[in-house]
Amino acid sequence: MTSAIEVRGLGKQFGSVRAVDDLTFEVAQGRVTGFLGPNGSGKTTSLRMLLGLVSISQGTATFGGKRYVELDHPVRHVGAALEATSFHPTRRAEDHLKTVALASGIPKARVAETLELVGLTEVARRRVGKFSLGMRQRLQLATALLGDPEILILDEPANGLDPQGIQWLRTFIRGQAAEGHAVLVSSHLLAEVEETVDDVVIISQGKLVLQTTLADLASQTGSGTGMRIRTPELTRLAGVLNAVPVGWRQTGPDTLVIDGATPEWFGHFAAQHQIILYELIQEKGSLEDVFLQLTTGFDAPHPVGPMPGGPA
Amino acid sequence: MIAVLRSEWLKLRTTSIPWLLSIIALVITGLLILLYFVNKGSNGGPHDHATFGPPTPDIPHTTQQLRNLLGTSVGIYVFALLLGVLIITVEFRHKTVTTSFLTTPHRTRFVGGKVLIAVITGAALGVIVLAGTLLIGGITLSAKGGSFSSLVHQLGAVAPGLILVYALMAVLGVGVGSLLTNQVAAIIVCLGWFLILENIIGGIWNGTVKWLPSGAAAAASNVSSGRNDVGLFNWWQGSLLILVYGLVFAALGSILLARRDIT
Repeated sequence: MTSAIEVRGLGKQFGSVRAVDDLTFEVAQGRVTGFLGPNGSGKTTSLRMLLGLVSISQGTATFGGKRYVELDHPVRHVGAALEATSFHPTRRAEDHLKTVALASGIPKARVAETLELVGLTEVARRRVGKFSLGMRQRLQLATALLGDPEILILDEPANGLDPQGIQWLRTFIRGQAAEGHAVLVSSHLLAEVEETVDDVVIISQGKLVLQTTLADLASQTGSGTGMRIRTPELTRLAGVLNAVPVGWRQTGPDTLVIDGATPEWFGHFAAQHQIILYELIQEKGSLEDVFLQLTTGFDAPHPVGPMPGGPA
Repeated sequence: MIAVLRSEWLKLRTTSIPWLLSIIALVITGLLILLYFVNKGSNGGPHDHATFGPPTPDIPHTTQQLRNLLGTSVGIYVFALLLGVLIITVEFRHKTVTTSFLTTPHRTRFVGGKVLIAVITGAALGVIVLAGTLLIGGITLSAKGGSFSSLVHQLGAVAPGLILVYALMAVLGVGVGSLLTNQVAAIIVCLGWFLILENIIGGIWNGTVKWLPSGAAAAASNVSSGRNDVGLFNWWQGSLLILVYGLVFAALGSILLARRDIT
């Protein structure tokens, strides 16, 4: 499978600030890639470099081998909905889309079609100045979709959307991938895109932390977790636990956490020693924990995992 | 190119810019014409004191007086300049430039589109103020016993140049706007130049008048500049001068814009 987007050694220097540093990743066709990192980690700058809005200090960013500026009528190949893009307040939604359609040789019928797609048909003739944040976000999405592009780049698209809107967005993004399109969607919250993405590219402080599949990331959630026990007989339990090869640590006046043991084993163990238990909870780390762990604490990039699907 | 023009025109007409500027330019043209008659047409050229036969001398009747009347709006070329400035800076003010650059990533091509729409709408603004002048000036002239047909007669001498001046000044405006993308700053610079600097420079060094936009505009439209017309250029030299100013600014603006990060 060929990559829809290829980023190689991308770097951006703003004065003395290194906003993006040696960033390398790929976005595969027919898959949704989450571009994740905390606020200020360089996501938006990277996306804007991809799209030729911000000049590239080092490296390359290409779509099927071509830079954005080299694409003929780029909006027909790459649809982008970026943050901090705005609309002229007196312009009607429909006219905003028409300005793009006219300049890119997109048939006018497509304007109504896209408005319908994002659910803005009823306000097509309304001036954008009167739009809510959610409606603007939808219009932004409509702009990205206008050219029916094979690659979509969405920068924090869920911002300003209501829960129904977010649900709709998820379904929509999955649908795009199912049609074989490549989607790169940025977010500072893994949880927001967890249900949508196939692959993740995680960056922190302008550097790549990890590129992998969501499934692979999920498999890392097992590490560093344990079983939480609440008991009125903490001292006695501690005493008998010390006699067996199991790690444990006290976490509260009547709670402790046990590592390297199953609930089944511990149930029998407690019954055998006749210890009263109030709680027995198998703790699971969430994806968000892994994400947080990856994006804080680590300054050096992890080795990059293999591309899902592998090179052609 | 037609597609780019249609897109740019749609962008422009969905803002208040062309409508507001046309109205203000018309109102000021009207006021200037009334002022002209109050001053008894004495701001004319070298034939001012010619007194042959009726009509009476306080009504414009010489060729130059009539041309000056028709060319009233040449003196307010600043509206065409502002049109050009606004055509480009409005994109930065409302951050629509992101969408525009995504659609047209070649920045020079983007400025080119703005230059094209500026030429056409600038010329249209010239036609509008000229029509207004003909109407208001013609009515006032007729009411004062002057000859409307003699005014119309001078149209051929003034109109092409005036419309050209407006078109070219709009191009210059795009050039200024591409260099100074901050809308407020660009407007202040244009008004400051038009209202203050140009008068000071022209007032101190008479010889520079022909090189100034107002002098070039007057030359291009066969109208007296209202100052000491020390050796104004002829119409094509004047037009060329404005065009050169406009293209130099637009070229510099394109170069700067190409390096600019849109964040």
